[in-house]
Amino acid sequence: MNAKVAVLVYPGTNSENETLRALLDAEVDAELVHWSNAATLANFDAYVLPGGFAYEDRIRAGAIAAHDRMTDAVIEGAQKGKMVLGICNGAQVLLEAGLVPGTGPVRRPTAAFTKNAPSGKFVCKHVYVKLNIAPQRCAITAGLPGEALIPAWAAHGEGRLAGSADHLDEISHGGHLAFVYAHADGSVDDAAVPNGSALGAAALTNSQGNVLAIMPHPERDAWTFNHPFSRDGRSGMTFFHSFAKGLKQQ
Amino acid sequence: MSSRALAITLKIPDNEAFTALRALQRLHIPVAAVERAEVWIFESSLSDEALVEGVRANETLFNPNKHELRVLRDERPRDGEVWIGEQGEDPASRAKLGGKPLAGVTAVRRYTAWLLSGEEGAALPRDQVDLAARGLLCNPAIEKAIL
Repeated sequence: MNAKVAVLVYPGTNSENETLRALLDAEVDAELVHWSNAATLANFDAYVLPGGFAYEDRIRAGAIAAHDRMTDAVIEGAQKGKMVLGICNGAQVLLEAGLVPGTGPVRRPTAAFTKNAPSGKFVCKHVYVKLNIAPQRCAITAGLPGEALIPAWAAHGEGRLAGSADHLDEISHGGHLAFVYAHADGSVDDAAVPNGSALGAAALTNSQGNVLAIMPHPERDAWTFNHPFSRDGRSGMTFFHSFAKGLKQQ
Repeated sequence: MSSRALAITLKIPDNEAFTALRALQRLHIPVAAVERAEVWIFESSLSDEALVEGVRANETLFNPNKHELRVLRDERPRDGEVWIGEQGEDPASRAKLGGKPLAGVTAVRRYTAWLLSGEEGAALPRDQVDLAARGLLCNPAIEKAIL
């Protein structure tokens, strides 16, 4: 029987349909689960938290959602080894829930995706993210080649990784820095980073490698009509095919 | 040059405070009411009246249709209150106030104040406010809590 994936819809989530579509196109058995059906989440094998503004970003981006009943199920699933992917606002929720980098207690965040720098303003920009860990380090990236380059759209006002020097060091040296921002040729420097993110971070994983929080949206570069500038053969679907492979091996 | 603190509160229902109340109750913190305010601390050469007038006229800070403004006696939280500020805030840069600076103001600090009350309206004890800050209201990776 196929593994079943829940795409969570909190009040204020807005990217659930394209995220679901990308998963279905990768032949993942996925469906939307709204907040009113949180009790059903235990029946799923993996969870995807899409982008948006869960609970209107009240208090802080992801703060209220991190304490939601749906997130109770996500935390419990993650602790059992189920795959969990958070994209954009979903990534912010996972950091607030303490699941990534996962270096502190649950719901005691040690880092945050916070206000972009230096502008402090919303960024909407086509970007590339480069795999910065061995593919097998994380179940969701295990189907990618080493140093895979994934196109995506950065679309956030709060995507800058921030934390204390000690915690950033832990992220860097603990193998949590899953993807960094890169140029189209794969080179990495500050100019490739759209939001001032510490370590050039675009995505983080936890110690077990079953949870991944990624800020830019690969699902918004999944299909031909999403490629505005080039036809370089790359597609955000590569990321979701890897997710599908990881699911089969779970 | 002197320092003055102003609080800006909503006079319309505060949905964010209500959401915080429900989330804190879910964390088993014995809170019955939450009030939220934006606290602005200004370093300025202005009189109280001129500062208040300037803030009232600054549309990036104050909307007379939905906000109320009061001058605070103290630059610290009251009983039952926690102020959440950004780590690494630059008061001189903050004084630009989103491109609408106030003449005579050289530095600005901003906090979100959360006043937590229990049943009968009594201020929540300090240890419970601390718990609320650690559990929800403050992310210590990017923010600081002042009790």
